[in-house]
Amino acid sequence: MKQLINFKLNGEEVEHYAPLNRTLLKMLREDFDLTGAKEGCGAGECGACTVIMDGVAVNSCLVLAAELDGREVTTIEGLSMDGKLDPLQVAFVNEAALQCGYCTPGMIMTAKVLLKNNPQPSEDEIKEGISGNLCRCTGYKKIIEAIQSAADKYQAENE
Amino acid sequence: MENFVYYKPQTLKECVSLLEEHPDAALLNGGTDLIIQMREGLRIPTDIIDIKNIPDLQGIKVGPDEIFIGGAVTMSQVYDHPELSKLFPYLCDAARSVGSIQIRNRATIAGNLVNASPLADTATPLLCLEAVIHTYGPNGTREIPLNEFFVFVRKTLLEPNEVVTGISFKPDALDKAVFTKLSRRNEVDLSTVCCSVGRKGGEYRIAFGSVAPTPLRLLDVEAYLKDKELTDDVRREAAEIARGTVSPISDVRASKEYRLDMVANILEDALAILQKEG
Repeated sequence: MKQLINFKLNGEEVEHYAPLNRTLLKMLREDFDLTGAKEGCGAGECGACTVIMDGVAVNSCLVLAAELDGREVTTIEGLSMDGKLDPLQVAFVNEAALQCGYCTPGMIMTAKVLLKNNPQPSEDEIKEGISGNLCRCTGYKKIIEAIQSAADKYQAENE
Repeated sequence: MENFVYYKPQTLKECVSLLEEHPDAALLNGGTDLIIQMREGLRIPTDIIDIKNIPDLQGIKVGPDEIFIGGAVTMSQVYDHPELSKLFPYLCDAARSVGSIQIRNRATIAGNLVNASPLADTATPLLCLEAVIHTYGPNGTREIPLNEFFVFVRKTLLEPNEVVTGISFKPDALDKAVFTKLSRRNEVDLSTVCCSVGRKGGEYRIAFGSVAPTPLRLLDVEAYLKDKELTDDVRREAAEIARGTVSPISDVRASKEYRLDMVANILEDALAILQKEG
């Protein structure tokens, strides 16, 4: 069964017949070919599917496609503007804050909202902020450094 | 996931009519439990009634006589609320201890209570606050004291066609309280034992989660502590009474014996904090 939904996806208004028994994550990946958000646990514990919905980080594996009507979603694909990477993405590259990359889109989307709400987080605040995102490769150190470095970059841009 | 029909009612009345028409429907609020259960095939609702947009379920009202948390209010809306975080830090601590930021942006306080998990984190501070559950159903509204609301593991007094419209409590219900959560991991974990201990004048209110089929008040311990000075001996005796009052089980998170020890330790520590901070 499908239902017509209207929502904003990465800044663009979208009209879409969404299969009802589908999660937001599956809809993004299969209907829109936005494969940045990943399915890890499928139960809201790993954060690999994190996207920004109406300004807050959510697990897209625990949102129904039908719920999207009238809402706004940003995925990792919507973070770069005109081919220019977001400072967070640049920082993850420069700090080598990824290995297999599976957790990276979710990690960056969580960090994006974290820095919006708290532009200069302490190390502990970053750790708490990304505690819903699991990384099995890096040991988190470089991820935390990348988020700190992006925070400095945003700060410099705003001055 | 199996197929279902999706409804987004705009009023409580519409919502209750839908529930009456569709006996195998499920209410969708934050979805952080329901959608997992649906994905695992544990629940196969024919219809989904998404209540989170109903205007009557929105918002937190801080009045002189009552605090009201709407049925669709999320965990993060609770602890991000400036007045709630100032007046009820222990409630905010409990809300902040649930899941991850992604979960807390969706999960609701009402959902936490309605699910009636024995370890519902926000239940213990609300039990100490003597909170009241407000419902709306075919026969109108009801107010159910939270202390009576939980019946058994995942069973409450909520009728099949009723919706929780909000949770209320008195602003001056407690002078001070402490929330404690013991879990294997500090973040994104379920409680091994959770507890709130509050004081109002010479009276104490004590609630534990994960040590019985439902979150519960320890009335025997409260009666023992009434008007007593919290000396070391009194705290120790209270902890011993608490140990005899609860009925934890052994499960994947901890053994029964460990939980019993922790009930005593957490209570003693929480009373010490209340004593020290006055």
